[in-house]
Amino acid sequence: MNIGTVPKLQRSWDLRAACNFIGGGTGAGLLLFAAVSAVLGWPWVAAALAALAFVGFGLSMVWLEIGKPLRAVNVFFHPQTSWMTREGIVALPLFVLTALSIVLALALPDADVLAAMTLELAAMVGLGFLYCQARILRAARGIRAWSEPALLPLTLASGLAEGAGVYLVLAGALGAMPPWALALGLVLCGARYAAWRRYRTRLSANGAPVASLAVLHGAEPLVVWPGHAVPAALLVLALAGVLPGVLGPLAGIAMAVAGWYVKVLIVLRAARSNGFAVVRTPVRGRGISKAGDRYGWHVPGR
Amino acid sequence: MRTRAESVTSVPTYCYNCVAGPDLMTVTVEDGVATAIRPNFDAKEHPANGRVCVKAYGLIEKTYNPHRILTPMRRTNPNKGRGEDPGFVPITWDEALEAIAGRLNHVRATGLVDEAGLPRVAATFGHGGTPAAYMGTLPAWLAAWGPIDFSFGSGQGVKCVHSEHLYGEYWHRAFTVCADTVLTRYVISFGTNVEVSGGACAVYRHADARIRGIKRVQVEPHLSVTGAASAEWVPIKPKTDGAFLLALIHVLLHEIPRDRLDLPFLRDRTASPYLVGPNGYYLRDPDSGKPLLWDLGTGAAVPHDTPGADPALEGRFTVPHAVEHGPDETRWEHRGAEGRTAFTAMVEQMAQFSPEWAEGVCEVPASTVRRVAGEYVENACVGQTIDIDGQTLPFRPVAITLGKTVNNGWGAYECCWARTMMATLVGALEVPGGTLGTTIRLNRPHENRLASVKPGADGFMESKFNATDAEHWAAKPTGRNAHKTLVPIVGNSSWSQALGPTHLAWMFLRATPDGWPKPSYPDVWFLFRTNPAISFWDTRQMVENMARMPFVVAFAYTLDETNWMADILLPDATDLEGTQLIRVGGTKFVEQHWHHQGVALRQPAVAPRGDARDMTWIAGELAKRCGLLEDYNKALNRGAACVPLKGEAYDFSLDPKAEHSVEAIWDAECKAACAAFTGGAEAHGLDWFKEHGYFVVPFKRVDWYLYPTMVAKGLRFELPYQERLLRVGKELGTRLHDAGIRWWDDQLHEYTALPEWHDVPQRWENAVKAMGGEPADYPFWLITTKTMQYTTGNNAGIPLMNEVGRNVRDHGGVQINAATAAKLGIIDGDMVEVRSVTNATRGKAIVVQGLRPDTLVIHGQFDHWATPFAKELGFPSLNTVAPLSLDLTDSTGSGADVVKVSIRKIVPGMAGGAA
Amino acid sequence: MTRYVMVVDLRRCVGCQTCTAACKVTNATMPGVQWRRVVDMEVGTFPDVQRVFTPVGCQHCSDPPCMEVCPSTATGKRADGIVTIDYDLCIGCSYCMVACPYEARYKVDKPVWAFGDTPTEVEKRRYDPRMIGVAQKCTFCVDTIDDGVSKGLTPGVDPDATPACVNSCISGAMQFGDIEDPDSNVSKLLRENSHFRMHEEQGTNPGFYYLWDGARP
Repeated sequence: MNIGTVPKLQRSWDLRAACNFIGGGTGAGLLLFAAVSAVLGWPWVAAALAALAFVGFGLSMVWLEIGKPLRAVNVFFHPQTSWMTREGIVALPLFVLTALSIVLALALPDADVLAAMTLELAAMVGLGFLYCQARILRAARGIRAWSEPALLPLTLASGLAEGAGVYLVLAGALGAMPPWALALGLVLCGARYAAWRRYRTRLSANGAPVASLAVLHGAEPLVVWPGHAVPAALLVLALAGVLPGVLGPLAGIAMAVAGWYVKVLIVLRAARSNGFAVVRTPVRGRGISKAGDRYGWHVPGR
Repeated sequence: MRTRAESVTSVPTYCYNCVAGPDLMTVTVEDGVATAIRPNFDAKEHPANGRVCVKAYGLIEKTYNPHRILTPMRRTNPNKGRGEDPGFVPITWDEALEAIAGRLNHVRATGLVDEAGLPRVAATFGHGGTPAAYMGTLPAWLAAWGPIDFSFGSGQGVKCVHSEHLYGEYWHRAFTVCADTVLTRYVISFGTNVEVSGGACAVYRHADARIRGIKRVQVEPHLSVTGAASAEWVPIKPKTDGAFLLALIHVLLHEIPRDRLDLPFLRDRTASPYLVGPNGYYLRDPDSGKPLLWDLGTGAAVPHDTPGADPALEGRFTVPHAVEHGPDETRWEHRGAEGRTAFTAMVEQMAQFSPEWAEGVCEVPASTVRRVAGEYVENACVGQTIDIDGQTLPFRPVAITLGKTVNNGWGAYECCWARTMMATLVGALEVPGGTLGTTIRLNRPHENRLASVKPGADGFMESKFNATDAEHWAAKPTGRNAHKTLVPIVGNSSWSQALGPTHLAWMFLRATPDGWPKPSYPDVWFLFRTNPAISFWDTRQMVENMARMPFVVAFAYTLDETNWMADILLPDATDLEGTQLIRVGGTKFVEQHWHHQGVALRQPAVAPRGDARDMTWIAGELAKRCGLLEDYNKALNRGAACVPLKGEAYDFSLDPKAEHSVEAIWDAECKAACAAFTGGAEAHGLDWFKEHGYFVVPFKRVDWYLYPTMVAKGLRFELPYQERLLRVGKELGTRLHDAGIRWWDDQLHEYTALPEWHDVPQRWENAVKAMGGEPADYPFWLITTKTMQYTTGNNAGIPLMNEVGRNVRDHGGVQINAATAAKLGIIDGDMVEVRSVTNATRGKAIVVQGLRPDTLVIHGQFDHWATPFAKELGFPSLNTVAPLSLDLTDSTGSGADVVKVSIRKIVPGMAGGAA
Repeated sequence: MTRYVMVVDLRRCVGCQTCTAACKVTNATMPGVQWRRVVDMEVGTFPDVQRVFTPVGCQHCSDPPCMEVCPSTATGKRADGIVTIDYDLCIGCSYCMVACPYEARYKVDKPVWAFGDTPTEVEKRRYDPRMIGVAQKCTFCVDTIDDGVSKGLTPGVDPDATPACVNSCISGAMQFGDIEDPDSNVSKLLRENSHFRMHEEQGTNPGFYYLWDGARP
């Protein structure tokens, strides 16, 4: 037993923080789909509204988690290096532009182009927001499962895939299932799975807590089958014309839930600290020094 | 923002929570509230530069613990027992003291001892004499009272290094033994956990030694903190250390050239040349009765102190005329008898203990034993000298230290003898770099072990054993543990009772062996800074015994498992609240070696909380109310509280007839102490001490070593041959058998002139059988270990200690070897049950690599059920499952913290919790 | 320039937690908060095992990830290398806690007391409400250093300008001083001994050095 040295599950960020990554990713992805809808002339307002709700939900969960909620404005003080500040800053135009596009669309039906353009802008900001979120995790050097560079593409891909999923559900509900959405969903589903695999491979190859790797490994069947294989198959069928209005939303649910599940896994269950390790054991008197072990740590090549 | 302090002061005081102290420190006090402990940076004379160990930092919480008893309390529930709520209610000091004095005065009127001669008042204090540093002038009250039974132990004999206390002091005035760490180069440490229990001074010295390049080989079943800080760990089977040590001697005597040993030391400073006769006793000069040695110069046997003799160290010689003095008055007169030197007797005896033999016993490769022996001799620097304080002394930088459990119970005699012999063979006993004693407790004067060396019989130091001759043997015990009756070597000093077989006092209350009268319960039992219901073995039985004590007075900090049975609780001013002056410096156990000596003051850094009162005030009140004021004052004047108040060059005596305030008493003590150390030149009072904290004068480095005194007095260490122990054992056997006592026969076998190996581990298996168990059902050895946070601290109720203790793996669970755990399906953190024949204890599994596969370790002494905070911890305890057993008691009255147990995983929800 | 660093001699440390306790008492941290602590690790398998005691805490990195991520600028770094937290700026987002590679940071959301629900007199007195809901960690006892330096004392040499853990260390394992001063105690120790820093691959340039042997060729 190594008291205090084994990588420890972080308790600083709980489900509320995970919800921010869920809400932010899904919202940003959804916003992108809303924007594409607008360009291609499909209904988008509901998606944009939902996107706003997702992002807003995520951020309010964070607000509930911080120790000094009344000082929340201080979050904007460090744009030079803090991705959290940047996330906060980017959130502002995201909200404003998205809300504006919705208002324009609802209040001024004639100004649909302006609304769409505003939405395009909002979607681009949304991608920026998603990127900030991905960088937030990446910059957390205390948590190996987050600081792995390969998490960045996974976070991006997952956010978009979750957004796609929710979009497909909304489209199903609205009774208008765009084929491009099915196709893009399929692409994102594949992309996210590739990013997930790469993430796991890189994490293991670069060294990580054994317990983190075990959690991710244990989740693989769920992530593969209901998380990716099933929605991919459903999307293929839907694209082939088999009940797109039913299979599309079903695939969407699976895609979104899979993304959320992966985020809960990574933010909560696989989030272990670096632990402590010595490079060399000390020479006690005329004793000998050994290379240090890193308990609870998967060291590549061992 | 934090409250801004209006006044901040730094109050110098001491910490003596464990025997490794006292250490000096300061208390930061903000507006009357003690807020922090800091080292005393001004105390340059302190060997650890005024630093204190982790325990001292808990004193802030200790002071402000909301669970403290802060007013005297009286028990309202006449029934006593673990399940009986005592129903303590607050009373006034006057009521409390009157109630106690009433009982005491009744005792005085009835008789201080009962019909059997046992004191009617008993007192139990905590570990290692340290409570005396907190009990103010209570010792003067105890002295004034008369006979008091100190034999109800709180762990003595089983939780200390008991055998070392007795044999160490006997052989080299070493109540405790340590390495001369500042000079030594090679230490073989058998389970000594000095990095945990050696205090600030030892930790610093050993850290320096490591940087200097010492090699310490730690021989123990588990990788303790000290093992960790050693150069090498040798995992040995529990209780087989003696075999390892005997094999080391075998290598020195049978496998290396004789001239690698310190032959002059053996010849001149030990009894090695004494001739041993056919009956196993020294051949003596028929006229003078002095032991004979063979003079190579004249080719004749001559008395050991014959000037100019050239003693033969080895060989067999025919002596024309000699006598042997056997037990009692047995005399054998020999003409032409052959005598072999004691050294030769040892060489022959040790022939059987080869490293290969030891491997079979200890499960340590013979090559390791051989290598360690070789390294020891290699490092001994035989022939080299060193200058200390202008004196040229032998330089022998090798030492062997023994830890608790190695040093207790069966097998400890062999270990103590072999360790001391290993030092003796290379002349490393009591010389720079070697194996040293630090202090004495059985001989006087306590504060000067060199001055305690007086010539005794046969060229050895005087040692006062309890009489074993027919006329003087104490057939009737004077205390409930029968130390005078059963343990000659423990003597009869003020410490002897509390060192005796203290578990016998508890055991005999329940049942006595054949021919032994059942002792009475003492009319009044005092408790101070101790919790034997947790700190001794078979705690269930201990509690039952305590519940039968008719009147128990406990100086109580919080409720605990022992004072749960009390009739009166008295809240005394604790560490940071009371006043007291104690001696510091010189050489003290565990390994405090100072270049100074003097006194240090404990003073009220803060006012006592609640209605807690200074111990000196309490002692004075008790004296007054018992009509003992004059005797109490006289005891103070004699030095019962710290130093004599009157000396050759000073007189600060108190008026024996008057009442004196706490301040007046300690003012006189302060002045007398300074005067005593300066020949009357200085006499600082209490106010000076409150500012400065301590007063010291230089202490010569050369006085760390006993060797120069032995040379100056022409004395020999009573080694290797234990003629006296042999004789005493025979006499004791005769006395006991004459009294019809046969239940101590096993212990009598330990009285041998040269150790023999008896299968020590087997005794624990036999004990399982004797208690109705099947040894195969208890395949594991359970041992215990210490952590610095708790060792001897009586601080289980301090949350800070638990919090920081949790950073150390030894704390709070059951350590089990990783491979063993895997086999049993136990993973780290699982709840497990450890079961002995008598009881079971539960705790969390701590899975480790640094532990033998057949051994489990439980830290410290827990399993509290009454002590606030501690009772919530849910920690296991060896004490719960260790039996109080005569079979496992050695001849010194000691037992070891070892139990044969089983272990199983507790699966929640399953019937009976069994896996 | 000055950069204060900690140098810990692992050969000396015995894991006694005196530094842990001294830190807690000096800084009045709440139960469970340990700005300084010593971890107890095993290396190897039975019987070839070693046990290493390693003091840890804020490493006062020169490129501190906690400061980089802090959105409020509450975490800062002084010219002398000490990484600080402005408790009045911190929003308690805990981002620094997950960014720190050394598990050095703590956050207490509501007061916790040693003996349960009620604070003791000393806890009441030393309670600092500013510390609730914000990040906290080892400060190198910055107030003591500043106070000492203002009196002309030398951190790491004079106790009144030295962190409590160093002052308390009974094995002499912990040393503190200015690494930029070639004559300082820590510079000398680093010159004369073999050392490493923990998780150096993180690129944070920690100000916490571990000695493990004397000079090696």
